[in-house]
Amino acid sequence: MAEMVLTPPLRADGREPNFLQKFGHAFVHGDIFTKLSLVVWGLGYIGHGQLIKALLVTLVQGLGLYFLGTSGIPALKKFGTLGTVQMEMQFNPLTLKNEVNNYDNSFAILLLSVIALVVIVTLIAAAMLVVQSNYALQAQKAAGKKPNNFRQDITLYLNEKFYVTLLTLPVLGVVVFTIVPLFILIAVAFTNYDQQHMPPAALFTWVGLANFAALFGGQSLTVTFNYAFGRVLGWTLVWAFFATFTTFFGGVFLAMLINNKKTKCQKLWRTLFMVTIAVPQFVTLLLVRNFFSDAGIFNTLMSNAGVTDFLKTIGLLGQNMNHIPFLTDQHWAKFMIVLINVWVGVPYQMIIATGVLMNIPSDMLEASTIDGASPWQSFIHIKLPYLFSVQGPALVTDFVKNVNNFNVIYLLTQDVYITKDQALASSSAKEVDLLVTWLFRLTQEQYNYKMAAVIGIMVFIICAVFTLVCFRFLNKKEATFS
Amino acid sequence: MTQATVSPARRTEAAAQLRRGRILRTVRSILRHLLLTLLAAIWLVPILWLLVTSFSTDRGINVRRFFPASYTVSNYINILFHPDSVAQFPRWFTNTLVVACFNCVISTCFVLMVAYALSCCRFKGRKLLQNLSVIVNLFPGVLAMIAVYFVLKYLNLTNSYAGLIMVYAGSSGLGYLICKGFFDTIPISLREAAKLDGASDARVFFQVVLPMSRPILVYTIISSFMVPWTDFVMAKMILNSGLSADWTVAIGLYNMLQKTLINNYFALFCAGGVLVSIPISILFVIMQKFYVEGITSGADKG
Repeated sequence: MAEMVLTPPLRADGREPNFLQKFGHAFVHGDIFTKLSLVVWGLGYIGHGQLIKALLVTLVQGLGLYFLGTSGIPALKKFGTLGTVQMEMQFNPLTLKNEVNNYDNSFAILLLSVIALVVIVTLIAAAMLVVQSNYALQAQKAAGKKPNNFRQDITLYLNEKFYVTLLTLPVLGVVVFTIVPLFILIAVAFTNYDQQHMPPAALFTWVGLANFAALFGGQSLTVTFNYAFGRVLGWTLVWAFFATFTTFFGGVFLAMLINNKKTKCQKLWRTLFMVTIAVPQFVTLLLVRNFFSDAGIFNTLMSNAGVTDFLKTIGLLGQNMNHIPFLTDQHWAKFMIVLINVWVGVPYQMIIATGVLMNIPSDMLEASTIDGASPWQSFIHIKLPYLFSVQGPALVTDFVKNVNNFNVIYLLTQDVYITKDQALASSSAKEVDLLVTWLFRLTQEQYNYKMAAVIGIMVFIICAVFTLVCFRFLNKKEATFS
Repeated sequence: MTQATVSPARRTEAAAQLRRGRILRTVRSILRHLLLTLLAAIWLVPILWLLVTSFSTDRGINVRRFFPASYTVSNYINILFHPDSVAQFPRWFTNTLVVACFNCVISTCFVLMVAYALSCCRFKGRKLLQNLSVIVNLFPGVLAMIAVYFVLKYLNLTNSYAGLIMVYAGSSGLGYLICKGFFDTIPISLREAAKLDGASDARVFFQVVLPMSRPILVYTIISSFMVPWTDFVMAKMILNSGLSADWTVAIGLYNMLQKTLINNYFALFCAGGVLVSIPISILFVIMQKFYVEGITSGADKG
């Protein structure tokens, strides 16, 4: 009998009841303690004889409510306007001094509101869980079993519920350091948070889709974001494409060159190329950028070898130039950045390609040799398709990583490359910027957080759509192969 | 019999063909090794430049010649034992070491915990968590960083190592994939056997799975230890007080290359670069060994 009432009924379609249905069932059929536990979590546990647990959950609930009461709710009340009281100096007749008034800090309001929303959602979900857990205790009692004591509960969290113990802290870390900041930045994209509206001295407020309109419509008066966005996006995609494929094929080529049976001292060659990985990237990139600087050593060598003059005669270099503008002219710089990235990336790709190529079933290769396939044919028809099928997902993630490749671009071009395009300069962009370096410098040079946030959202959309489309395509292809 | 029927002319022709083939193969082999030598040279030129400049007697960049005119070890002595207001390498080194140690402990724990939970525990919402982590990873790190900076500033944690460690380690749980891949290859039967013997899930984790995961453990530890040594952007953003003594190695060395400083500090920068590279190379070699071991031994078990 008891069983009938205590287990929530199956849904009409025969599937397990979902979280909400379980909660509803527990709350409706629960006894007074179970019902009370929705409001004060501890009461239910006290009623069901779990005192230590009651104390702990009430403490957690109390902390949550304390935060909401003291800072969360007041912030949420001002969330609609993001504050109305500007910071001012006021004369205080008591101390006879000018003092700062009780002003609103828009950013603090935004931050606390986001945290408050997260806390509220968590508290509600937790309350529902508490009711369900109390209902389970009630069911145990009805079935004549004794409820777990505290020690047994701990054992439970080291056994069936060990995943809860494991995941709590890491998930909390991700929420605090990734998810909450992301929510804040998404919110900032819909405000006018920039140099004119910097808290605490000034307020910022909601502006709807105006920033997105500025990025696409370009009706903003002084700054030409529309133009800059088009240029930077174009280069970002070109860069990501070339960076991904040059390093991939370079790595495959190098791996095959080294792993060929006729190559001697394979280990030595591999080590030589891996030396470049061992030096931290920021050291090598800063070094290389000085190596190729306008008055740098490489230009001296080129000039001594007569390459500079040769480039002049074939017209690749202006007649009045006495150096090759490796990192200061936009076309040269783009070319050099991709080239330097090959230098940085190929050793990594070589290691990966070596691993993949070693795993090719040898009978496949042997069969092709017996059938009289040339090495080139076996590369095109066996090794390459195999590499693509294994490395396909990695190529997609590499592309996304290159869209976000901050280090290479920033360390090579910051303070070196100066744009001559006024329209780009006025929005802090350069021809060689990626979207991520552009948004970083927007925040550093112009304090233009609203546009940086908008660009960040665009980067996410591009990466997400690209990844989804590619994986869908890859999955389909895999299905046809098998 | 057949030998006798082959004419001497044909025999010499065959021999010639054989010889030609051998010559062709030797030429090819020489070309192959020449190409490799050329490529290796290209890849090593910047490293060589770093090395020789760090021993140069010129303090700035010598743009006239690749190899310095004379060599000295004074750059190393200066950067290690005579810190000035700009170059405080020993301080930077200790700062980075402290951050690296803390980050290493926290990150490794987080990664192992998430990987084990998602690989070996079965619970509702496991797939959902995995999908969410993929989506969160698609957001550009720089974007999150700017927001994190504001949160830290609000909490008064900028210019503190606690803040920097939190940023490095806070969301490290997202990097669980490689480790999970390894745990996936540990046979379920082993864990089940331990459980039948009465071990709790926690004991299975500590006494069955972890001891079997030495390669991936070492890989995780070293890679999280290396983060503060190689990261540049986060540190620059968070330790922005302008006080040289507070910096990590990466920002300190970057700062030496400012336009006003580069002519006095380039050789010191190179010396510093070499000094940082030594421990990192050693760790990298160890990590590489364990990484390969981790992947291949995983394959064997699977």
